[in-house]
Amino acid sequence: MLLLQLLVNGIVTGCALGVVAVSFALVYATTRIFHIAHAGVYTLGGYLAWSLLAHGVPEPLALLGAMAGCTVLGAAIQHFLYAPLERRRATHLIVLIASLGALAVIQNLIAAVYSSDILEFTIPWASAVVTLGGLRLTGAQLATLALSLAAFVGMLWFAHRTLLGKRIRAVASNPFLAEITRLEPRAVYVTVIAIASAVVCIPGVLVPLDLGLQPYGGVTPLLTATIAMIAGGVGSLGGAFLFAVVIVVLQNLSLLVMPGEWSIGVTFAIFVVFMLFRPRGLFAAG
Amino acid sequence: MRTSRRLGAGRFWLAAVAAGALLGVAAAPARAKTIELGALLPLTGPGAVIGTEQMRGIQFAVDELNAKGGIDGDTVHVIYDDDQAKSDQAVLDFNKLVSLQHVPMIWLAYSGPTLATAPLATRRHILILNSGAQSDALQKASPYLVNTLPSTEEEVKVMVKYLRAHGKSTAAVLYENDAAGIGGRDDFVKDFKAAGGKIVAQEPVQFGQTDFRPALLKLASAKPQVLYVVTTVGMVPLADQLHEMNHKWLVAGTTFMNNPQVIADPNAAGLIHTQVEANVSPALMAAFQKKMGVEMGFFSRQYYNSAQMVFIILDHMIKAKMPITGANMRTELFKIKTFATPVPMTFTSNTAIVPIAIEEMKGGTEVTITHSVAK
Amino acid sequence: MDYFYSYLILAEIYVLLGLSTNLLVGVVGIFSVSQAAVFGVGAYIVSDFLLSGTLSFLPALAVAAVACIVLNVLLTLPSLRVSGDYFVVTSFGIQLLATAVFTNWTGGTGGANGLPGVPPPDLFGFPLEETRQILGFTTVAAGLGCLAFWLSMRAPYGRLLKAIREDELAVAAAGKDVLRAKVSAAALAGAFAGVAGGVYATYMSFIDPSSFDLDASVLLLTMVVVGGARTLAGSIVGPVVLLALPQLLQLVAIPTTVAASARQLLYGVLLIAFAVFRPQGLAGERL
Repeated sequence: MLLLQLLVNGIVTGCALGVVAVSFALVYATTRIFHIAHAGVYTLGGYLAWSLLAHGVPEPLALLGAMAGCTVLGAAIQHFLYAPLERRRATHLIVLIASLGALAVIQNLIAAVYSSDILEFTIPWASAVVTLGGLRLTGAQLATLALSLAAFVGMLWFAHRTLLGKRIRAVASNPFLAEITRLEPRAVYVTVIAIASAVVCIPGVLVPLDLGLQPYGGVTPLLTATIAMIAGGVGSLGGAFLFAVVIVVLQNLSLLVMPGEWSIGVTFAIFVVFMLFRPRGLFAAG
Repeated sequence: MRTSRRLGAGRFWLAAVAAGALLGVAAAPARAKTIELGALLPLTGPGAVIGTEQMRGIQFAVDELNAKGGIDGDTVHVIYDDDQAKSDQAVLDFNKLVSLQHVPMIWLAYSGPTLATAPLATRRHILILNSGAQSDALQKASPYLVNTLPSTEEEVKVMVKYLRAHGKSTAAVLYENDAAGIGGRDDFVKDFKAAGGKIVAQEPVQFGQTDFRPALLKLASAKPQVLYVVTTVGMVPLADQLHEMNHKWLVAGTTFMNNPQVIADPNAAGLIHTQVEANVSPALMAAFQKKMGVEMGFFSRQYYNSAQMVFIILDHMIKAKMPITGANMRTELFKIKTFATPVPMTFTSNTAIVPIAIEEMKGGTEVTITHSVAK
Repeated sequence: MDYFYSYLILAEIYVLLGLSTNLLVGVVGIFSVSQAAVFGVGAYIVSDFLLSGTLSFLPALAVAAVACIVLNVLLTLPSLRVSGDYFVVTSFGIQLLATAVFTNWTGGTGGANGLPGVPPPDLFGFPLEETRQILGFTTVAAGLGCLAFWLSMRAPYGRLLKAIREDELAVAAAGKDVLRAKVSAAALAGAFAGVAGGVYATYMSFIDPSSFDLDASVLLLTMVVVGGARTLAGSIVGPVVLLALPQLLQLVAIPTTVAASARQLLYGVLLIAFAVFRPQGLAGERL
């Protein structure tokens, strides 16, 4: 029973992380920018929803409002930061540093406005416990599972079935050719980051719904998500999602055999070893 | 003659001015001084919430004092520096407060900065007061470091005694993986075993981690009677997740558990914890709420209390015309020994003896179930 | 005076760290957010030796330097096999792993409680107790570091590194050993960080994991960006300015509730501003 509960908890959190991984992978595969500020967008989503709810906005609208806010932030980062840097022919290193700076600004603005305290959502159905057999899950966990899977499926459908999605994949696979064939990569970039920001807002709201809001809590999930993306192979949305779930489940299960304080350390240690021996990932899309 | 008259006139004015000056000096009260004290608190960074609470406590006490005319006419002014709870920043700030601003005494918070500045305090003879941290290492870090609240070990002793007296013999520990949590875990494991109990499991969590489920599940599989919790943040998610598990344990903790949101959380009903007594009068709480706009939290009360102690010491020193230095303040503190501050304190060592109670949360309020005095 | 001395001592320690980070990030071009981890290893090694009485200060410092050379080379090897972005995650991972080790390995590092009571530095048995004396030592150490950096940038070795930045393929095609050049830069960077760590531990007399975490690494990166990459002047200006900033901020009367997070916010703004408008920093070359 312990095993099963750990497994299920891991799957729920893993799916949320999977959405983070998929949204990050979308940006990275298309723009090649290591958009670490994505962690800031993820964090902001939760706080926006909290504020909207505090003003009496009904829950679905609060989520949509938060998603809109995240979209704006993501697009702004692309338009006001990444695009000018690209025009100035900035090196990869500089763009990375700028993204890191943007993350610091977002996190600390949030901390300045909302305080560094852990903030709680007070939604009754979220903390209600549902018993399924011997398993216990909260409403928040169930919502996380459902919406994360829906977001993932939605992203897959978008990438493979819609015109915009195909255009994005074309740009991702060959930016140079895309430029020549008038696919307008730069306009695509804004769209991509906008979509990714809206999508990452979903776990950004649901995870804090379960566990509370913190201004600096976005970096570790994002890094774990990028590990998942790399392990799954850049360009493979399915690989990113799958590995995110696998990593979180392994972290949870590892508690059975290892002292808890080492589980995050071990995750990164495994990754570093992976990097040395199989840097292209398991399902690289080329 | 003109010259002599002029000289005479000049001498007259000179004498008049001199007399006036002498009279002025003799007649006026000794010119009111400002006594400057220092405070090194985490005002930004992860400790900012607590540091700001502490600052409010000190400032409220100082404002109250100055409004009443200060100490024998001398006003008190506290210079606050932000150390972000980081040791290197604390060392820099300590040197600044002592060398540039010449303070005789500095308030500190968090064990890291306190431990880092302790050797400096010994060297420079500066009294440093800790009214927030409870780490055991602080008890002997410096003769110039005085702690105004009991160490974690004292709290643990009280709780272990209670648990064993109520027939609890197996315990699991959930602790934060940092100085405060590890210290508390070590103390509990040692004392509980010494009292004949058995530790069946231990699990760490990271500072700021709010997903306790995996750790709690693992602890549950060991089937303890008691879950002892030593975490400083994340109490509300912890209480909620404990409630989800529908466990049969007695959940116990320390003063760390005390915060208004947890007490108000219905899911926290049944939690018990030791509590360093820090009760001040309702009138004081109301006045604080009115002036500062927030409730007078535990740390505000601690630092307010500590400030009252400092004022008593300064009062004695001013009356005895002692120069206000760190060394003198320290000597005077140990001479006075027992302070009739809002929360009374007695010093037979560098750490105050303060009563420790055990409180039980009852979904909205807390009820005191025992009193005790730390040895 | 002590206050000014302590600022200078810390500035000089961070100059050594600035040289180290500049070598890796500015000269070799590796995105590293794990320099604080190497700094920490140097600090813990020296502290352990001094606390157990096994070695005196200078020999302990030498051991720390060697250990950090080896460590830094090992840590930067992945960057040579793996493309830039993948190494970013590896670097974050290394820093987070290091913090986990510092916090959990109680036997070696004192764990979360840290190591208090580290003895002051000593020169062949003569202890440097006064702040002034320590300042003398750090000035010499920083001076030697700057000299080493300057000489290596001037020498053919430095020109080789520069050429590698401009066009690595051409350099490799010309038969020059690119790998060796990069590795030796990483080694030198490790030495600087290790020495800085040892001096820091003995000056502070207390170290704990919080001085060697991700925030510290980001601060080091900010120093390189603001000070300027690849130049000696940049490696000095960066630390001096960034260490002075919090003290200057305190002089400006910001309401404390707003000042919460203000410093980290300022670092973030600086990173963005310099990245967009002045990638060469105050006194360096374009990153």
